[in-house]
Amino acid sequence: MSLRANDNERASTTGAAFSSVGQRATDAGRAQRAIRVFLYYGVLIAAVAAFMIPIIWLLLGSLKLNAEFRAYPIKILPRSPIWNNYYDALTLVPFFVYAGRSLLLALLYTVLVVISSAFAGFGFARHRAPGRNTLFILVVAMVMVPQIVTIIPQFMLYSRLGLVGTYWPWVLWGIAGSPFHIFLFRQFFAGFPKELEDAAEIDGCTRLRVFGQIFLPNAGPVLAASAIFAFQWVWGDFFLQSIFLNESHATLAMKLASAYVDPHGNPLYTQTLAAVVIYVLPLIVVFFLAQKQIVRGVVTTGLK
Amino acid sequence: MAATSQSVNLPLRRGKRGARARRVARWFYLFIGPWLLGFVCLSLFPLLFALVISFTNYDGLNLLSVKFLGLGNYLRALQDRNAIFALQRTMIFALVSVPLNLLFSFCIALMLTRERLRARGVFRTLFYLPSIIPIVATVWIWRLIMDRNFGLINGLLSLISPGTAVAWLVDYPTMVLIIMSLWIGTGGAMIIFMAGLQGVPRELEEAALIDGANLFQMFRAITLPLVTPVVFYQLILGIIFSLQILIEPILLTGIGSTNGLMTTIPPRPNYMYMVHVYNQIFSNQRFGYGAALLWLLFILTLALTLIVFRTSRYWVYYEVEQEGART
Repeated sequence: MSLRANDNERASTTGAAFSSVGQRATDAGRAQRAIRVFLYYGVLIAAVAAFMIPIIWLLLGSLKLNAEFRAYPIKILPRSPIWNNYYDALTLVPFFVYAGRSLLLALLYTVLVVISSAFAGFGFARHRAPGRNTLFILVVAMVMVPQIVTIIPQFMLYSRLGLVGTYWPWVLWGIAGSPFHIFLFRQFFAGFPKELEDAAEIDGCTRLRVFGQIFLPNAGPVLAASAIFAFQWVWGDFFLQSIFLNESHATLAMKLASAYVDPHGNPLYTQTLAAVVIYVLPLIVVFFLAQKQIVRGVVTTGLK
Repeated sequence: MAATSQSVNLPLRRGKRGARARRVARWFYLFIGPWLLGFVCLSLFPLLFALVISFTNYDGLNLLSVKFLGLGNYLRALQDRNAIFALQRTMIFALVSVPLNLLFSFCIALMLTRERLRARGVFRTLFYLPSIIPIVATVWIWRLIMDRNFGLINGLLSLISPGTAVAWLVDYPTMVLIIMSLWIGTGGAMIIFMAGLQGVPRELEEAALIDGANLFQMFRAITLPLVTPVVFYQLILGIIFSLQILIEPILLTGIGSTNGLMTTIPPRPNYMYMVHVYNQIFSNQRFGYGAALLWLLFILTLALTLIVFRTSRYWVYYEVEQEGART
C-alpha cells in the first residue's frame, strides 16, 4: 500500500548492485559516474523547471502592475510586488458570492457522491448476488465512457424538465454516485478481513450496521481520497457549470473565464490573475495536506 | 472468500443458507440501488434518448413538429465537410498528443523510480501539481505564455530578435493545445507508471544484470514487457479522452473575453469534432443532428478501442498472476 516504503526498498537493493560496481572503479570511473549523476539530476531538474515556469509566471503576473504586465521589453519581475491586486481581486467583483456558489456546489456533490459511492462500493465488494459481476463490468466500462457523451443528452432532457439554471443536476449526479469512486471504494473494501464481518453477523448486526460500524470507520484514507477527488472535480470544472447554470448563478470558474474590467471596459489582467491564484489555492493546499491519499487513489483507479 | 464464508455457514441448515443468500442479494441491490437508478436514469436513458432523436429533426423546443428522418442525419454527417474536417483535426491531435504524453510521462516515471534518487517525493509532487489545477486557471496560464502581445515566449524571443510577435494561439493553436495537454496529463500518467514500475519484481532485474545484460538490455527484456499492461490501459484512456476534447480549444480562444465565451469558435486548426457537435446543438439548435454526430463519434471511439485491444496480444504481456502490480 505504501508507495514510500516501496521506493526505499527498491532504492536500497538496486543501489547495492550499483555500489558494488562502483568499488571496482578507478578515479576516472568515479569521475565518469559523477558526471552521469550530474546529468541525471540536470535532466530531471530541467524538466521540473519547464513544468513549474508556467505556474511561477502566473504568480509573477498576479503581482505586477498592468503596465508592467504589458511592458516591452518584457519585465520578468515586478519592481515591487503589488499585493493590492489580491485585495482588488476580492473586492472589484462580488468574489465571495461566486466562491460561495462554487463551494456550495462542490460540497453538495461531494457529500452525496461519497455516501452513494461508498454504499455501492461496499455492495460490490462484500455481497454475492446474481448479476453482480455483470453490473461491476458496467461500472468499469463507465469509468472509460467520457461524461460528455451522456452530458449533452442529459442537457436536452434537463432543459425540458426545467432543471437548467438550478443546482439540481449536481444533486442528481451526486446521488447517482460515480463509477470512478465506486471502483475506489470497492477495491478498498474488498481487502478487509472476512472474520470481522462474520463476527458481527453472528452478533446479529444488519448489513447496514456492519457497513456503518465496521467498514466505514476503517475507511478513512479512501473516504478522504474520494472526497478530495469529488471536490476538485466540481471546484475545478468549467464546462458543466457553464452549460447547466446561467449568469445569475455564475460560479467562480465561470466568472474567472473572463477578465475583470475597469469602468471603461478595459481588461484588468493582473487583478484577474490574482483572483485565479486565489481560486487555485484551496486545491493546492488540500493537495499538499492529503498527497498520500490522492496518489494512492490515482494508482488504485489507474492500475485496474 | 468463498471458503471462509462456507465454514461459518456450516452449522446452518440448507434451507437457511438459501434464505441467507437471498437476503445478501437483497442487501446488495439496496446498497448499489442509488447508483443503479442513477445509471439507468442519467446514463442509459439519455443515451437512448439521444439515439432516438438522432433519427429526427428535433430542435430542443417543439415536440409537435418533430419528424422522423430515418438515417437522414447520419447520411448528412458523412457529407458534412466541417464534420469531416473537424474529425481530421481531432485525429491529428490525438495521434500526436497521446503517444507524446505516454512517452514523456513514462520517461519521467522511469527516471523517478531509478536507484538512490534524492528528493524523489519532491520531484513527483511537482510533476503532479499541474494536473490538479482547474482548467480555467490552466488556460489562463498558457495564455500568459503564448499571447501575442504580453506572452512570455514572445517576450523572451524579443530579447533576441526585437519585435517578435508571433500569434501562437491563432497561427499554431494545435501545437499550443498539445503542449497544454502534455502539461496537464503528465502527472497522473507518471504516478500510474511509477506504481507499475515498482511492481516489477526486483529479482528478475537483478538476475538479468548478473547474467551480463546491460541496463538497456534489462529494460528491453524485463522492465518494459512487465509494464505493458499499464501502458496499454493508459493508451486506451488517452485515445478515448483525446477524441472528446472540447472545452480546452474553446477556452484557449475565449479566455479573458468579456462575453459569450461558450459561443467562441476556435481558430480553424483547433476546430475539433466535439466543438462542431457542440455548435450544432447549442448554437444552431440542431439537437437531432448533434445527437447523430455524437453517436458517430461513440461508434468510432468504440471501433478504435477494439482495434487497439486486438493488437494487444502482440505487444501486451499478461502474467498469470500479477502480484506486484496490486499494491
